[in-house]
Amino acid sequence: MRPLNGIRILDFTHVLAGPFCTRVLADMGADVVKVNSTVRAAANNAPNSPYYAIWNRNKRALALNMSDDEAKDVAKSLANQADVVIDNFSIGVLDRWGVGFDEVSKTNDQVIYVQMSGMGAGGPWSDFVTYAPTIHALAGLTYTTGVPDGGPIGVGFSYNDHQAGLHAAVAILSAIEARRQTGIGQRIDLAQFEVGVAMIGVSLLDYFANGKVAQPCGNRPPYDKFAPHGCYACRPEGDDILDERWLAIVCRDEDEWQALCHVMGNPDWCRSEAFKTMDARCENAESLDSHINSWTKARDATTLMYALQEKGVPAGNVQPGIDLAESDPQLKAREFIRFMEEPHPGLGVTFADRLPIYFEKTPCDTYERSRTLGEDNVSVLADWLGMSEQEVRSGEENGHFT
Amino acid sequence: MPNSRTALQQTRIVDLSDDKSIYGVKLLSDMGADTVRPEISSGDLLRQRGPFDENSGESLWYTFFASSRRHFTVDENSSASLYELNALLRCADLCFLGKENALAEKVNLDAARSRNPKLVVVDVSPFGSAGPWRDFKAPDLVASALGGSSGVTGDHYTPPLKLFGELNFMISGAYAATAALAGLNHVRESGEGQRIEVPVHECIASSLEHVFMWYFHHAQFPNARAPALERRGSLHWTNLYVVMPTKNGEMMVTPTPNMEAQLAWLVEEGAFQDLLDPKYEEPENRRQYFTRLMEVLREWVATEDSEELFRKAQEHHAPYGWVQTVAEVAKNPQLEARSWWDSLRLGDRNLPSPGVPFQFSDTPGSVVESEWIETNGSSVLENIGWEA
Repeated sequence: MRPLNGIRILDFTHVLAGPFCTRVLADMGADVVKVNSTVRAAANNAPNSPYYAIWNRNKRALALNMSDDEAKDVAKSLANQADVVIDNFSIGVLDRWGVGFDEVSKTNDQVIYVQMSGMGAGGPWSDFVTYAPTIHALAGLTYTTGVPDGGPIGVGFSYNDHQAGLHAAVAILSAIEARRQTGIGQRIDLAQFEVGVAMIGVSLLDYFANGKVAQPCGNRPPYDKFAPHGCYACRPEGDDILDERWLAIVCRDEDEWQALCHVMGNPDWCRSEAFKTMDARCENAESLDSHINSWTKARDATTLMYALQEKGVPAGNVQPGIDLAESDPQLKAREFIRFMEEPHPGLGVTFADRLPIYFEKTPCDTYERSRTLGEDNVSVLADWLGMSEQEVRSGEENGHFT
Repeated sequence: MPNSRTALQQTRIVDLSDDKSIYGVKLLSDMGADTVRPEISSGDLLRQRGPFDENSGESLWYTFFASSRRHFTVDENSSASLYELNALLRCADLCFLGKENALAEKVNLDAARSRNPKLVVVDVSPFGSAGPWRDFKAPDLVASALGGSSGVTGDHYTPPLKLFGELNFMISGAYAATAALAGLNHVRESGEGQRIEVPVHECIASSLEHVFMWYFHHAQFPNARAPALERRGSLHWTNLYVVMPTKNGEMMVTPTPNMEAQLAWLVEEGAFQDLLDPKYEEPENRRQYFTRLMEVLREWVATEDSEELFRKAQEHHAPYGWVQTVAEVAKNPQLEARSWWDSLRLGDRNLPSPGVPFQFSDTPGSVVESEWIETNGSSVLENIGWEA
């Protein structure tokens, strides 16, 4: 028993933001039917792409040729059975297929209909095309993540796609709770851009209240007085950038600072007036960082991390993907990376990074590989619409379910 | 006070979160949940987080993250006051816990759950309750380093970088909200509450887009030289999205999703250089073509005005992104047209406030001002109107 057992989701999403939402819901037990088609199964939407495989685990795969009228009718029938219909196309695509909210809600007033477009319905930018890097740029995330005078760097991965997916999951589950009170479903218009802008909410308030425009500040905290607060180079393992080793160290109060000084062997500079108080350390942060860098640069990052944490100083290795996958003892202990029991027909052995939510009574420990195009046509159409295998196979032969 | 006819108006939350999940509580509170956030007598520690309103002195961090709630003081040294705090849990649907919240250790969860078996407790901590790092301290920068987001952020000339502001803990916050609502769904279906654990470390590691894919499947990517990608500035792992300077700003430029359309646009602009050379049509030259395409784009973009280029890109269905400052975001015409901003009172001023990041057709949420409840020695439960 998982917490979302019994919830049916008809999933027209693609790439990352939408599939991440439905992956989280599928991990928690929802019956997610991922709709794809021969025409659309290309690049990151191709079931043999590793990218697709990662974001579409635990879902069932249905192929519908949406240029075909019979397939459109089946899509409409499926939508009538769904608790949730979700897409992240530009506004209007599902309307053209006859499964837009206005059409579906006529026959299924319980449906929760989620549109995760880039810019939302309405407004001068409504039709704009976006991916996560577009949203990062437009929402201020690219400008603010960087170093002073270093030009925009931004987040090194599609952060906003994950956030938009999680926000869509929150919205869907909120609407399911609302449905219990009102008895009806509703439409949810989630603009991925608005999710991105919400991520800099504090800086926006600072702008509105004080007229201050947030600037990139490297690893220093933008608003709080904490020092040291940085990533310090440690002994590298070779000459390549991938061989660099870095250690993040943060001192938020006097106890943490004194503990850091102790681990460093209480060098004389620690006792100088320049570093006596938090205010002084913040004022002289550059010099402080330089001293700490001198201490870390020839030392092993992991050894330092354990030594510092043991004395109560927040410290952590900067872990590249290899560390996360191979050597992170915490992730290993929690079995964060698992391998799918059943090999993927196109990719062989695939992996799952587990849902980071541990339910005491309804554990979510089931991970099934992503499915190939239309692999679950028979089971989905039987379970949701009561169709026989013969009917489904005939629909496949006639090009409806392809 | 809860909004009228909101999605979560029947949901009562006791908010004992810290910075790792306070954003999740905000999401639910802005959707209308009836949320109370008790504070120790010296005041919530998170009220000390900057920036501050230069007029009223109030924490803008707190104003943003602790919106749409009711606050009151609990005397942590008074058994009567702590009894009242625990009594709240008998009437609540959800309780968020963060161990850096000064009141989190003052609640008797076993007793509360025994008296209120429908209670869902969401415990968000840096590493969870098990594993060798369970007692490690991990403020945002350290969480970002260990969780993997710093490892792929930054450039070769910078250290690995933390994401700006609270972006890491906003991921764990969003996961916490999701977990809470899933737990609530189970309560509504079965009557069974439970404890849910959300480790920040795993939340960050699960939200790194390409990182694990690159490790496990890098052999399938022609540009992979190792199972990890170095920090590489704004250059996306596909090599097809990058920030380029324009004549008067910066633009995130990509020829995806339709490379042919991008080429046609360059031809239209007379900026295609050698890109029509037939050699690029040969399969063995495709990688060279993509590299050359990005070079040509960089030269062309440098001659263009940002605003005009962004407009033309979107007319060509090209997902370019104009790099915006916070001030520019504040004036964005799309947000204005969608009436996205809410309003908050701060001191004696009304200020725009970021709105709710999803619009519901029937039960819309909104960011409302938090309210202070004076208990004056009377029952907290009575004052907030909760009954078991």
